[in-house]
Amino acid sequence: MKSGAMRQERLSVFSEALAVICVALVALPIAWMVVQGFLPNRAIVSNGWTFPFWLGNFQELFGAGSPFAREIVNSVVITAGTVLLCVLVGSITGYVLALLHPPRWLAAIALGLSALLPIVPPMVLVPGLYITMSRLDLIGSLLGLILLNTVFNLPFAALLMLNFFSQSPAELREAALVDGASEVGAFLRVMLPLSRPAVSAVGIYTAIMAWNEFLMGLTMTSGGAQAPLTVGIAGLVQPYSVTWGAMAAAGTVAAVPLVVLTIFAGRQIVAGLTAGALKG
Amino acid sequence: MVRSAPREKTSDGFNMDQGVVGFATETESQPPAQGTSTRGKRRRGGGRGTRLWAIVGLAPFVAFMLVFAIYPFGQLLWMSLSDTSQRGAGFQSSWAGFTNFVAVWGSRLDMQSILVTTLFVVLAVSITIVLGTALALMMRRVVAMRRVLQSVILWPAVVTPVAISVLWLLIFSPTVGVWNKLLGTFGVPGQQWLNTELGAFVLVVFIDVWHWTPLVFLVVFTALLGIDSGLYEAARIDGASERKITMSIVLPSLRPAIAVAALLRLVMAVKAFDEMYLLTRGGPNHATNLISLQIHSLFFDNLEFGHAAAFGIYVVLIVVVIALLGFGSYRLLGNVRATRKQAMR
Repeated sequence: MKSGAMRQERLSVFSEALAVICVALVALPIAWMVVQGFLPNRAIVSNGWTFPFWLGNFQELFGAGSPFAREIVNSVVITAGTVLLCVLVGSITGYVLALLHPPRWLAAIALGLSALLPIVPPMVLVPGLYITMSRLDLIGSLLGLILLNTVFNLPFAALLMLNFFSQSPAELREAALVDGASEVGAFLRVMLPLSRPAVSAVGIYTAIMAWNEFLMGLTMTSGGAQAPLTVGIAGLVQPYSVTWGAMAAAGTVAAVPLVVLTIFAGRQIVAGLTAGALKG
Repeated sequence: MVRSAPREKTSDGFNMDQGVVGFATETESQPPAQGTSTRGKRRRGGGRGTRLWAIVGLAPFVAFMLVFAIYPFGQLLWMSLSDTSQRGAGFQSSWAGFTNFVAVWGSRLDMQSILVTTLFVVLAVSITIVLGTALALMMRRVVAMRRVLQSVILWPAVVTPVAISVLWLLIFSPTVGVWNKLLGTFGVPGQQWLNTELGAFVLVVFIDVWHWTPLVFLVVFTALLGIDSGLYEAARIDGASERKITMSIVLPSLRPAIAVAALLRLVMAVKAFDEMYLLTRGGPNHATNLISLQIHSLFFDNLEFGHAAAFGIYVVLIVVVIALLGFGSYRLLGNVRATRKQAMR
């Protein structure tokens, strides 16, 4: 009995130690990048271990003639637009599929596309998308990137909302209808306010996806002031470049908001990621 | 608690008013749709108006998919069957039959990228699943570190993949990487991994494992926390060893979570692009040239539009077949298990 208790204790000490190691393995590489962002190039390139604090990388990134600030604004606009569209269209779609009994064939099409699109590698669609976007004159435009980000996140948003609404008390909608509310009113005033947790999971998840998106920004813009932040950073990653410090600083600018987000919205992120896992 | 109280009230109200409002009878003849089992026997609210709203409500979603998924896919199909070239700002194409599809079989780089992707997917998925599950099992007793762990472990999953490429470049770059600095400090000659075929491939798999093991860990860890601890207690009182408990109680109840994580990882690994594009550009000598990189270079560098499209169509076919096989075998396994359980009773 006693040895059993001791074993339990040893196991839990082992658990805690392993957790410390895992946290270090995750955090140290990220911390290293942040540190490099505050170093001049000669310190990064040198063989020694000196860490002279320096803000020049950031001054260079945000200096005149650099598109970096513009690219951050682009990313913010793309993220905001994508979140708005995904929450709006996703919640309506999920609501209709869960509660309004659309014609079978229509529901089958919507569900089939939601299952198929997430498993196709986006790069496969890029040639077709490129032609579509150039026909619509959306190459190099923020609106184009908002629409593309929305398309690739919409299946997840719709399925998560569908999942939420099919578990919510449908009688509330029926009661609202009986009380004289219109179908739109029942959705906007009764059911949507009820779905705040699901909406915030969708919003946070799509925000992360849109902020991190790289492929569409790379292929549908010609870089520079048209591009999102991720493409701007990629432009700094050259095989023989000497702008290591600027590269690290730019990576830091992209990463830090997300790290901060995990502190404030960790629970919603886990909900979004695991629901995304279940539905994706 | 909040949910059950209004449910009683509203369902009463609904039943009372049902006769007055007189719902259209056509709704009754419809078979119950999915997700309505709890109230499938009751009459559903809504007649013709609801049906109209349902169609209107689905319109934006379907329109999005038509314009930005179906239409581009049609363009892709058309491009794969034609000889397309760029004329000024637009494209010009003429019918080419199946020459592009035949050309894929003759392309050594296409075949190599499929091989490289297969290797990458098998290694990256299996390592992340085994490692993530093992770590979750080993850390299920974590108490003091739990909050920190659950927050920090999220970082790789949410931090921009482009930034992740940057940070690993800062570590493994042959010229400025801290790994070589460390080796140099201990008098070991620096590595050139990113410049060798095997080294670059191993690094790309390693970075993917670092990137996504936390996600597997989170999915499995969340499922672990959901297992009724009474189960452990009962087994422990019955004298089962820790290993026995893990193997015959914990792992079986984790099976759905692990399957979901594996499916998700599979889909993600097939899509992989960002890190390799930035770290290796598919090189050296195409050793890390995944299918996404191959399509990218066919389309944007070689301007072989038809070839890129045909290769993409093959990829879609492969992905769909694998998905159907995976789904089918999972259901088959479930059926086998169910019948075995019944037989044991």
